[in-house]
Amino acid sequence: MTTAATAVSDTPGRPFKGEWIWSLVFPVLSVIVFLGTWEILIRVLEVPAWLVPKPSDFLSRLSTDFTTIAGHAWVTSKTIAFGFAIGVLIAVPLALAIVSVRSLERGLFPVIIFLNIMPKTVVGPIFVVWFGIGPLASVIIVFLMCFFPVLVDSMSGFRAVDPRLYHITRSMGASQLQTFRYIRIPASMRYIFAGMKIGIVKAIEGVIIAEFIASSAGLGFMIMRASSFMDTTLMFSGLIATASVALVFNGLMVAAERLLMPWARQ
Amino acid sequence: MRANGQERAADTGASIAGRGIKKVFGTGPSAHHALGPIDLDVKPGEFVSLIGPSGCGKSTTMLLVAGLEKTTEGKIEIDGVPLSAPLSEVGIVFQDHLLLEFRTAIRNVMLQQEIRRLDRQELRERADALFEKLGLTGAENRYPWQLSGGMRQRVSIARALVHQPSMLLMDEPFGALDAITRTQIRHDLEMLWLETRKTVLFITHSIEEAVGLSDRVLVMSDGPGKIVDEIHIDLPRPRPAHLGDYPDFAQYAQRVYTTFEKLGIYKFK
Ligand SMILES: Nc1ncnc2c1ncn2[C@@H]1O[C@H](COP(=O)(O)OP(=O)(O)OP(=O)(O)O)[C@@H](O)[C@H]1O
Ligand SMILES: [Mg+2]
Repeated sequence: MTTAATAVSDTPGRPFKGEWIWSLVFPVLSVIVFLGTWEILIRVLEVPAWLVPKPSDFLSRLSTDFTTIAGHAWVTSKTIAFGFAIGVLIAVPLALAIVSVRSLERGLFPVIIFLNIMPKTVVGPIFVVWFGIGPLASVIIVFLMCFFPVLVDSMSGFRAVDPRLYHITRSMGASQLQTFRYIRIPASMRYIFAGMKIGIVKAIEGVIIAEFIASSAGLGFMIMRASSFMDTTLMFSGLIATASVALVFNGLMVAAERLLMPWARQ
Repeated sequence: MRANGQERAADTGASIAGRGIKKVFGTGPSAHHALGPIDLDVKPGEFVSLIGPSGCGKSTTMLLVAGLEKTTEGKIEIDGVPLSAPLSEVGIVFQDHLLLEFRTAIRNVMLQQEIRRLDRQELRERADALFEKLGLTGAENRYPWQLSGGMRQRVSIARALVHQPSMLLMDEPFGALDAITRTQIRHDLEMLWLETRKTVLFITHSIEEAVGLSDRVLVMSDGPGKIVDEIHIDLPRPRPAHLGDYPDFAQYAQRVYTTFEKLGIYKFK
């Protein structure tokens, strides 16, 4: 009997040693091949830079115009961070309230469904009228974009506990507060994170569109202005910068997940 | 933390006395008569199994005894005190382990300590002792997904016992396990029970399990269930892995089969 406990491997499903090197080499290699082919084709076919820039053009532009691009990227990142944080801070408690109070669910759910399916970017021009050109309109659009996935997934998270577990906690004499603290909140974390991962992707999508129409700073604004000057190279640099911002935010999400849910590393 | 009853030494079981217990779920046209009326008497420290066809009201009986559902008619006394709130001095094990995926094995057990606000060190010592007896030593810091099905159920048994309840309620606790694990865990439970003599109400579909563990087996009829037979199991303890070695075992098992056949639960041609 005592040997049963030690018989299970400590890290099931862990990849073989060295596999991570290949998972690094292959993407890097394919990017190099892709950009190299691009560079050669443009040079051979002599395509003008205003139509399609060479990778060497827009990559070097990233360093020559670094301060400008980084400044815009910083504005964009702040907008994402604010909109996303407000979205999560409202969505999670609201999900809890909706799940706990029956009448709230009946009253609010149709509204939520409607707002969820409505394309959020169409309200951009309205926000411009209401709040003017500036960061506020963008923050609100980002908020709307990430709010709903977080809300909906949090709601399923708060419902996900097997009701028979409450039999056990009730026999323990657990108060409502204890049930939340010990069971419902941690049990819903997995779902909240799933919602936040979708939310952050939506937020990045939303921030660029918001900056196209309602901003005087940020990567979206920079790309839009470059477009009106036919500065295609800067537009591509902006694209790379946007992707980098997206990568950073995704990385932050993964890091937060590892930190807050150490049990889920499967 | 005694919701029901008088002081009692920590290592004896509670008594159950149910009179005319009946349970109807819902009201009006959707009302569903799920159980009884039945009388249920369990002596302190007795190991009693409930066996019966699916849907006859076994789980319902358990929830009524735990005070987690209200009886529609009749009353239940635990240690002579009528039930009015969820029973506190109880440990519950279901067919699914119902462990928290975000807590390690030991912290799942220590949930009892945290919620009941019991002494941390004392409970930790008891948890360690239970882990040892249940063959879980070394698995303390694993998460449920890192444990086998049998180990998970052992952790959930430890969780049900660590606060030293006077009663253990088990609803098909081994139903999801394979036959080999089930036989071993049955023995381990029996050894734990012999040591502490909690009152156990054990629900099962397995005649072998019922006979292998119980002092007394209550056989229930189709829903709404009534208790149709009561079998005292007079076998020495601890009981062996292979119960067929006892000639009496075959007789006890036969009696349950015959009862089921008489009730028309088995329709063999
Ligand atoms: N909360 C409930 N509301 C309405 N009906 C219920 C409820 N719980 C159980 N029932 C019904 O009561 C009857 C008895 O249920 P119970 O779960 O006690 O059966 P059981 O003997 O445990 O069955 P099984 O062996 O399949 O677990 C069933 O018909 C079931 O559908
Ligand atoms: Mg049942």
